Amino acid sequence: MERSNSWRQFKAILRKDLVMELRTKEMVTSMGLYALLTMVVYQIALAEAGDTFDVRLVMPGLIWVAFIFMSMLGLNRSFVHEKDQGCMDALLLSPVDRPVIFFAKFAGNLLFLMVVELLSLPVFSFLFLQGRAGIGNPIWLLGVVLLGASIGISGVGTLLATMTVNTKGKDVMLSVLFVPLMYPLLRAAVGATFAAVIGGPGTVQTFWLFMAWVAGFDVIMVLVAYGLYEFVVGV
Amino acid sequence: MEETARNGLAVETRELTRSFGVRKALNNITFELPEGAFLSIFGPNGAGKTTLVKVLTTLLNPSSGTARVSGYDVVNDAVELRHHIGLISHNPLLYPDLTAEENLLFFAEMYGLKDPKGRVNKLLADVELDHRRLDVTGTFSRGMLQRLSIARALLHKPDVLFLDEPYSGLDPHAMDILDGLIAQIRGEHTFVMISHDLDKGLELCSHALILASGKVVLFEERQNIDVRTFRETYRATVGTGVA
Amino acid sequence: MKRNLLAEIMLGLGGLLTSAAFFMTFFWAAPSSYPDGRVDFAQKIFYFHVPVAEASFLVFIFTAFYGIKFLTTRERIYDTKARIATEVTLFFVLLTMATGILWTKVEWGVWWQWEPRLTTYFILTLLVIAYFVLRNSVEDEEKRAVYASAFGILAFIDAPISFFITRWLNSIHPVVFGAGNSSGLEPPMLITFIIAQVGMLMLGYAFYQLRLREEELKERLEALKIEIGD
Repeated sequence: MERSNSWRQFKAILRKDLVMELRTKEMVTSMGLYALLTMVVYQIALAEAGDTFDVRLVMPGLIWVAFIFMSMLGLNRSFVHEKDQGCMDALLLSPVDRPVIFFAKFAGNLLFLMVVELLSLPVFSFLFLQGRAGIGNPIWLLGVVLLGASIGISGVGTLLATMTVNTKGKDVMLSVLFVPLMYPLLRAAVGATFAAVIGGPGTVQTFWLFMAWVAGFDVIMVLVAYGLYEFVVGV
Repeated sequence: MEETARNGLAVETRELTRSFGVRKALNNITFELPEGAFLSIFGPNGAGKTTLVKVLTTLLNPSSGTARVSGYDVVNDAVELRHHIGLISHNPLLYPDLTAEENLLFFAEMYGLKDPKGRVNKLLADVELDHRRLDVTGTFSRGMLQRLSIARALLHKPDVLFLDEPYSGLDPHAMDILDGLIAQIRGEHTFVMISHDLDKGLELCSHALILASGKVVLFEERQNIDVRTFRETYRATVGTGVA
Repeated sequence: MKRNLLAEIMLGLGGLLTSAAFFMTFFWAAPSSYPDGRVDFAQKIFYFHVPVAEASFLVFIFTAFYGIKFLTTRERIYDTKARIATEVTLFFVLLTMATGILWTKVEWGVWWQWEPRLTTYFILTLLVIAYFVLRNSVEDEEKRAVYASAFGILAFIDAPISFFITRWLNSIHPVVFGAGNSSGLEPPMLITFIIAQVGMLMLGYAFYQLRLREEELKERLEALKIEIGD
């Protein structure tokens, strides 16, 4: 008797999403393009602020605004693929435990989001931070907050996008549900990013305090999302 | 491996009901279908045909009553049961950005097949899509997609095949090919088909079931059915406006 | 179906108590004063604002509670209860926002401050509105109920996190209770406050029960229609 195996299924779903993305480059392109567009808008927003204005003061907020909206494009695409030709039903019809689907889609979304974030950060600093004060603390701290916040975004986003892909407004609906839920996570991510960027005495400690909030949010909300997933795909 | 109560029945439902609030999508459905049979389910839109198939394929849980497919309970043995059923729908259930081969290999992995490559090769040959194996399915015609989706449904050699209006949207040529494929595999599986097309459904079936408002109006073996009275019964259910 | 006598009594009593508290606020409870001795008349909104805010969060607990109950039982009535609890929450949340903004204007000179409680309530308002927007955008009844329950549970867990993080960041909102051993209120003030609070909870209960009865009647009507249709 042939048996299904959760780990094998997890890898299969993740690999399938990667192959599809490498072939079409649909999600990464649209997310990356969106990030570039927001930077144009930022240039306009900061146009009258003058040369002496320290962009680093608003940079953490600006990048997280770009990332949160960008993430929703990806999340939505990720489930439109499953929905379009009824593939989600085929997936649910196979002998797979529902959490495997959750974690595989979660991992894929996290990966794509991180890729675009890591690509757009250098572009941001190229466009806005040249010839100004640099990053105050070791740069790997930025990597930590990117990963930490992206986990929460992708985890909760995977659950919400699974629901909203079945609603009338799809992407609009996703933002209506997603942004207010993300408030505490984004607030902490901006705080941590700010501490990492500004530097100076005590900022590393502040950074880790904010990261504790990020981690707390990730653990609680991703666990709840995981717990709710089976119910949401069961109707 | 747990012993299952096979007793020669492919599908067995007892007072199967699915309701939400006062609305009953399925109301007290009881019938038995022997192994190797071909059941055609007829009924107007909203009669509960899709819901019935979704319950039998474990996508939805019943509110009360029981259903066993291939000897497995749809609620308690859901994961095990999924190894034994396949679905061919009017939707291809294939990823348009993956090639024919990748699509089948993906589902082979999901079912945990031992020799995915070999099985996929055999099926691609069976549905005559060998030459297109490396093309993404987004470029396929409706008929080719339907053939590939049959290959997908047969990957894990299911006992019971569910067909959800498989003929809808097919051109006459593709219909002929589908007829041929079904005839080929007819002996190896039990079939449960939702159909809008009375002629087609009656032509293929060994058993027929008419649903209306979630209730069984008629369940009969094909040989006992007089086509004219059957047609009238069907028309009456559509005509009551319960749709 | 019997009349819900208890709910009607609660409605009357709650109305009476909140009205009484309103008069007590102005004619009995002494006005508090600033450290420099000026009378702090704006503080009087506290007798209305805080009971409303607490009622809103208490009712929101039922959104999550019935959401969980619905997901585990799939009984439609629990979804109806969760929805009505969220309606009552929305009502109280909007009142909290309105009274909070008035107070902020008088006390801090601006209509809005991104201060922990205000921020939390702003987020909570958006979450509660999102709950109804979500319901409206799902056609299938059971799907709608499942999605709404899931979102209600998420929102209920998210709101306190929002509150604690904003409070952790910086709090300039007066902390009346829990700051010291005593509540910091004179007996007349405390009694007025308690009466207002109890009255408001009674009103919340009555709104909830009466709305629920209305919904139950609607559902019975629907059931009868289906029966006749058969």
